[in-house]
Amino acid sequence: MALREVQGDAGLDLGDVLGPSGEIATRRRLTGWRRVAVGLAFPAILLTIWSVASATGLLSDRLFPAPADLARTARDFVVAPKRLPVPGVIPFKGAAVEHIRASVGRWGVGYAIAVCVGLPLGLGLGLSRWMAAAVDPLFHAIRSVPITAWLPIALVWFGLGNGAARFLVFIGAVSPIVVATADSTARVPRQLVDTARMLGTRPRDLARRVYLPSALPGIVTGLRLGLTLGWTSAIVAELTGQSSGLGAMMNAAREVTRLDQIVVGMATFAVIGLTGDLLVRAIARPFVRWADA
Amino acid sequence: MSTDPVRTTVVGERATSAPSALAAIGVAKSYGALSVLADLDFSVGPGEVLAVLGPSGCGKSTLLRVLAGLEPPDRGRVEIGGQPVRGPSPDRPMVVQGATLFPWLSLRANLEWGPKALGNQQSGAIVDELLEATGLSGSADLLPRQLSGGMRQRAAIAQVLANQPPLLLLDEPFGALDAQTRLRMQEWLIGLLAERPTATVLVTHDVEEALLLGHRLLRLSHRPATVLEELALDLPSPRGRSTLSDSRFVQLKADVLARVLDA
Ligand SMILES: Nc1ncnc2c1ncn2[C@@H]1O[C@H](COP(=O)(O)OP(=O)(O)O)[C@@H](O)[C@H]1O
Ligand SMILES: [Mg+2]
Repeated sequence: MALREVQGDAGLDLGDVLGPSGEIATRRRLTGWRRVAVGLAFPAILLTIWSVASATGLLSDRLFPAPADLARTARDFVVAPKRLPVPGVIPFKGAAVEHIRASVGRWGVGYAIAVCVGLPLGLGLGLSRWMAAAVDPLFHAIRSVPITAWLPIALVWFGLGNGAARFLVFIGAVSPIVVATADSTARVPRQLVDTARMLGTRPRDLARRVYLPSALPGIVTGLRLGLTLGWTSAIVAELTGQSSGLGAMMNAAREVTRLDQIVVGMATFAVIGLTGDLLVRAIARPFVRWADA
Repeated sequence: MSTDPVRTTVVGERATSAPSALAAIGVAKSYGALSVLADLDFSVGPGEVLAVLGPSGCGKSTLLRVLAGLEPPDRGRVEIGGQPVRGPSPDRPMVVQGATLFPWLSLRANLEWGPKALGNQQSGAIVDELLEATGLSGSADLLPRQLSGGMRQRAAIAQVLANQPPLLLLDEPFGALDAQTRLRMQEWLIGLLAERPTATVLVTHDVEEALLLGHRLLRLSHRPATVLEELALDLPSPRGRSTLSDSRFVQLKADVLARVLDA
């Protein structure tokens, strides 16, 4: 009880954590509708504050658009009748599908290449001390070059077009995949590998049958991080002179200071990034459920 | 030490000359400057359970890894049927300390691993029989983490037995279990090995376990491990919980314990 008094003095209310007898009680989990309700209520509160701040002029629409304006712009982006294309002008109204398709296409191709390169490279680094010793320093040095610093060379190599964007997505996505795969492969318990060998598994089957499944939870984390990083890289690539894509649209909106269009672009970006992450998690779920706590 | 209830053999003067399932000849191993095994000589006969008793840290796990072919000895050699051991083989699997099953596979898939790796078509029948013998038929579809410690331990032994190896290496198989569970597991293992005679090297730091399970005892010194004594354990069979109160067992246990504590 002395313990509780000290905590009381410190101004902490640990009544929920420490039970009546002072023992540590497990914190109650948020489940079901409660969780959904809290998840909806918090953004709703923010939205209300934002609306009020905009309506009262507290938040200038030169700095951030009002919710109602954004809703209108978003609707235009998705459903407004499409205008005839004007050469050199990046369309906004009714162009959501076109831009999303362009961005997601670059993202998908670049990410697929990153997975095909990153998984074997990561496995190799995790399995072979020689390869790790040879490649690790170089890889981590290259990895620390930010994606924006890759942009000039990507443009020189691929010119303005899908090639440069796919390349930047690849660069952004590949390093978390490699790092996570290499690290979780190197941490596979030696006993599992020994057991497999003593059960008759051929050495060349160990990577596929033991290392890969055992490292999978860590690899999935790398795949998720890579997916999100690849998506942000896609937008960086589109900021420089692509004729379509969410990044290109946002860049065009910046040139005419359409704050509402910029924010709608950001929101679209966030929603698609989140959707991609949820998709990868859903696909991976049955394969990594064994590792749940 | 007047009248030992069992036959004692002085080290190096081997009593039996039956063909051995495994022979260790002058095996020595060190890790850098740390000498772990020093010139060990012993053999295991077919179907015989050799209990290797030694204090913690003396090199028991290292010895089993060398016998399994997971690590080469620095000096000496290990022979199976006259052939030197060169690497791990499904003919002499080791169940490691704190047994590991493949955590992403169901119990049944874990047991099927060995027969499938060896291309054995009849894996289904063997695995069913082993699940029965381990009392785990009802848990075949569970993941390892859904099993209790004792179930996991039995499953790990069943997993390597599915390949029907002539030699089994067990590293403190029941060390992590509570006393009652351990005794049940020991009785289970005695029954299992009686049904399918398998030469076994069982490593333990527990005197009672060594005497209860072993047909012969090999007592090791502190690190670097050398053989202090070899002892045939011809206690009445079948052994089990009643053996623990058998007067010869009680006497033997007191003797061995005294020598362990004096060492
Ligand atoms: N891979 C290793 N590298 C260095 N030292 C080791 C290694 N494995 C075991 N040892 C050391 O060898 C000694 C014997 O270990 P071990 O065989 O596990 O003993 P036991 O199983 O009898 O408890 C210990 O001192 C341990 O620290
Ligand atoms: Mg050990």
